[in-house]
Amino acid sequence: MTLIGPLVLASFLFCVGLYGVIARRNSVLVLMSVELMLNAVNINLVAFQSLLHGDDAAVTGQIFALFVIVVAAAEVGIGLAIVFNMFRNRASIDIDDADLMRW
Amino acid sequence: MEALNYAWIVVALPLLAAAVIAVFGKLMPLKGSEVGIAAITGAWVLSLVIGWQTFVNGPVDALEQVFWSSPMGGAFTIEFGQYVDGLTAMMLVLVTTVSMLVQLYSREYMHGEDRFTYFFSMLALFTFSMLVLVIAPNTLQAVVGWELVGLCSYLLIGYYWQDKPNADAANKAFLTTKFADIGLIVGVVVLSAGVAQHSNNVFSIPETIDLAMGGQLSELTVVLGTLMIFLGAMGKSGQMPLHVWLPDAMAGPTPVSALIHAATMVTAGVFFVARLYPVFIQYATVMNVIAVVGVITLFFAGFLALVQDDVKKVLAYSTVSQLGYMMAALGVGGYTAGIFHLFTHGFFKALLFLGSGSLIHAVHSNNMSDMGGMRKYMPVTFVTFVIGSLALAGFPLTAGFFSKDEILVSAQLWGDAGMATGPLVYWLGLAGAMVTTFYMGRTVFLIFFGEHRGAHGAAHDVETVEDVHAEAEAGVLDAEAEAEDAAQAAHDVQGGHHDPHESGWQILTALVALAVFSFPVGMAGGFLWDEVGGSTEQNFETWTATHAIEEAQYPFLPGYHAPGGEEHGEEGASEGEGGEAEDPEAAGSGSIVLASGEDLSGPLAAESGDEEGFSNHVLHGAPEFHLDVFLLALAGFLIAVGGAWAIYGRGRPERDPTLHMGGFTTALVNKYWLDDLGYRFVVVPIRDRLAPAVSWSSNVLIDGVVKSIGGGVKRLANVTYFTVDQKIIDGGVNGAALSAAWWSSKLKRLQSGDVQRYAGAMMAGVIVLVIAFAAAR
Amino acid sequence: MTGLDVIFILLALMTGGAAILTVISRNLVHAALFLATTLAGIGAIFILMRADFVGLVQIVVYVGAITVLFLFGLMLTRAPIGREALDSRSQPMALAVSATLFVVLTTLIVLAFGDVASTEPTGVPITELGTAIFSEWVFPFEVVSMLLLAALVGAVLLARRDSGESGEEADVEIILDALPTPADVEADRREAAAELAHPDNVTASPQASGGGQ
Repeated sequence: MTLIGPLVLASFLFCVGLYGVIARRNSVLVLMSVELMLNAVNINLVAFQSLLHGDDAAVTGQIFALFVIVVAAAEVGIGLAIVFNMFRNRASIDIDDADLMRW
Repeated sequence: MEALNYAWIVVALPLLAAAVIAVFGKLMPLKGSEVGIAAITGAWVLSLVIGWQTFVNGPVDALEQVFWSSPMGGAFTIEFGQYVDGLTAMMLVLVTTVSMLVQLYSREYMHGEDRFTYFFSMLALFTFSMLVLVIAPNTLQAVVGWELVGLCSYLLIGYYWQDKPNADAANKAFLTTKFADIGLIVGVVVLSAGVAQHSNNVFSIPETIDLAMGGQLSELTVVLGTLMIFLGAMGKSGQMPLHVWLPDAMAGPTPVSALIHAATMVTAGVFFVARLYPVFIQYATVMNVIAVVGVITLFFAGFLALVQDDVKKVLAYSTVSQLGYMMAALGVGGYTAGIFHLFTHGFFKALLFLGSGSLIHAVHSNNMSDMGGMRKYMPVTFVTFVIGSLALAGFPLTAGFFSKDEILVSAQLWGDAGMATGPLVYWLGLAGAMVTTFYMGRTVFLIFFGEHRGAHGAAHDVETVEDVHAEAEAGVLDAEAEAEDAAQAAHDVQGGHHDPHESGWQILTALVALAVFSFPVGMAGGFLWDEVGGSTEQNFETWTATHAIEEAQYPFLPGYHAPGGEEHGEEGASEGEGGEAEDPEAAGSGSIVLASGEDLSGPLAAESGDEEGFSNHVLHGAPEFHLDVFLLALAGFLIAVGGAWAIYGRGRPERDPTLHMGGFTTALVNKYWLDDLGYRFVVVPIRDRLAPAVSWSSNVLIDGVVKSIGGGVKRLANVTYFTVDQKIIDGGVNGAALSAAWWSSKLKRLQSGDVQRYAGAMMAGVIVLVIAFAAAR
Repeated sequence: MTGLDVIFILLALMTGGAAILTVISRNLVHAALFLATTLAGIGAIFILMRADFVGLVQIVVYVGAITVLFLFGLMLTRAPIGREALDSRSQPMALAVSATLFVVLTTLIVLAFGDVASTEPTGVPITELGTAIFSEWVFPFEVVSMLLLAALVGAVLLARRDSGESGEEADVEIILDALPTPADVEADRREAAAELAHPDNVTASPQASGGGQ
């Protein structure tokens, strides 16, 4: 199995996630796109572990992937809580409306 | 000797406290005072350890450490470090003890003042400055500490700057001492120029002392340098005629007077002379100048205290007089006696000032004419004040008795050696002691005996200096003086609306502690030291003596052995060969010339057994009992106290005899016209002659030139203004402003508040960076 | 081109397609379901690379939990479930940036790893993984557990209805009224333009002061 396949897939997923983060209006969708980006990183970590450094006994790549999953779960929790708050205060979860910091 | 290594902590703690109080003081529950007291208590404990270590070990090798040095090119190096020996340790103990008690006292005395925190910060800063001076291993650091001390003094005298007289007093003190400081700096530079020919460390105090004792500095260098340094010391230590600032400095709060203007700062001059003492004793001229200035100060300043009504002024003049004692002692070879008096005086004068502060706190007036009968109201203050007064007057067994006795004995020995200043200091010192006793008796009787005069506003038994003026001018008490008295009475009624009461525990703690200290500190240096269980191996003399002082001799007295004399001919020769490169040790060993050939461990015994009857060494050995001195001093004391009791014992007399001594009183009231002299011969010539002359030359001569140039320039300026300024520069400025406005109106759209756009822009930047890094690989 | 590669390519096509559909879908619930598909595909790829444990965690945590969480989020925020414009005005920029980034990253990956030989994926026994987590990585593990706890508390605090003033059921209309309307913004803009158009007011003052000299 080639290494380059998972890497290209990861970079593709990352860019799709980035597109979602920048282009989507709905904050929940933005959070979903962030999840995509985090998962792309996980693919990288696992692929390097499995296909490039397989002879090393270390399991660092997979453990890192697990940590990223945990942190991502925490991030979703906090992110959704923020979205709820925003919805409660402004009756909208459109990121376009959250522009109080403009000039 | 380990504790000596940490002497710098004693210095650092107050600085830390000052900084912490200045920054966080207002936030603290006790407004920063707790930090100051905690820091100074820590410093005090460490000082006691250092003092004890140096005390039990006798004359110690000075510990010299340099913490920071900066070569400035050539022989010029700036160093900061510590130099710890017995003298330093003694000053550390004195400064930290008084400072600690004064801070405790100020907690109560300054309670509720504006700028309470500032006050404590300044007290801590002052303590730090004084310790920097005390611990200085080189003259440059000493100058730094000296000036910092002057600054703190200025700031604290002017603490109540809202009143113009106080601000004026601060200015006067600052300018007077600053004038003297010119002398100090010139002296330091002159000495360092001499040292520079032999050593690279030009400001080092030990090297200066070694070179001076080895006779390697020229006469001009030593005499000029030491006299100039002495000028600085005269200013700081209030020697006549530069004492004029010291009484005015009483404008500051009383704790400041106690700490700065009685116990510690004013001793800086005496301390510095003592620090460089082996240099000062090289020439008889210098010693005579010191002795004469000291004796004039001690004798004449005492009289000034006679006519004062303000209790703080009495104490201020008494301080001047006692500083005169110290200087005179140094001038007649009484090294130990001088600094011993410095040490004891620090305690009992601080006690007296704090006691007077307690009184002032109670009656809301500085004037003795508003007090009287206070012993009934303030018993603790009364007892402690009397103890302080007895010590100051030299009552037997008090601290002041021993130190004054030492000074007189030193003067006697100096006279025996054939120096004319010896008897002068001896007899005038005795007379000065009588005067001191008399005015202290007057003060005590006026304040504590008789009836209380303040609250009841008995206007007409109050006779003040102003009344005497009025009497002298008009012959009788005229209407104006009557009005003045009435005003004073009215003030009294307002101010003293209740009976005075004893102060709180913080003031009393400080008073009692200092009163208790007033006894043992005198024992260590007195002739009774043996009797109370002390050892002759360890007394005040061995404590404050350094090896340099032990080896020091007076070159101008008989019995002097030149360094490298016949006994040490070989060493002398090697010194000659060594030239500049010789180390201080060699120079030192060359000058250890003991008449009977003992080794270093017994120099004191060697001196007492000198066959010529007078040792030309600085140290006299353990103090002995001199019956004649004792009897004369005691007789003087009794006569003066008796006189004071006879006049003032039953309260304030109708006619205060000190105010009715004709021309003498006039002279005293006018402070020997010294202020007038200063005004007439310094201020007036500058104002009336120099200033108008300068003004004329500037008006007529320089203005002409300036005007013609000015005309041309004006024309040029007009052209410049209308073309260059208005058209080009203003156009440019306005254009810049307009373009900035235009651009900002466009660029502000970038700040859309749209986080997604920001994210996109950030990623675009990341892409650029990635490409750049990849291309750079 | 081994069998694994074929399976991988199929999985990758499914995952990538689902990812694209996630970010362009006009229906929010569909987007969430596409996201679940994508995450499941990634889990399958993990298993393909013989990282079995990570793959299973991926499926359990993401497909099981997080997707449901997102669906709850969508429901609770009363998101418009239906076809409507979900793209912001930054959409062209997003397309440009992500396309450029993809090109750059792919180029770099091919340059850096293009010559790595094709190998069999090496698996790690799950016992070894567990041992490593609880020996070598035990400190980060504990830190991450603290992080989770903090996130839990934080999320509760943020989402609670009565947490401070912002927790009140806000009167949305008042807030919306207080915000500058597009008309206000336009008025400001016109005002600024008017100032720029008449610079005399600015230049007048230096001349006045110049006359006084």
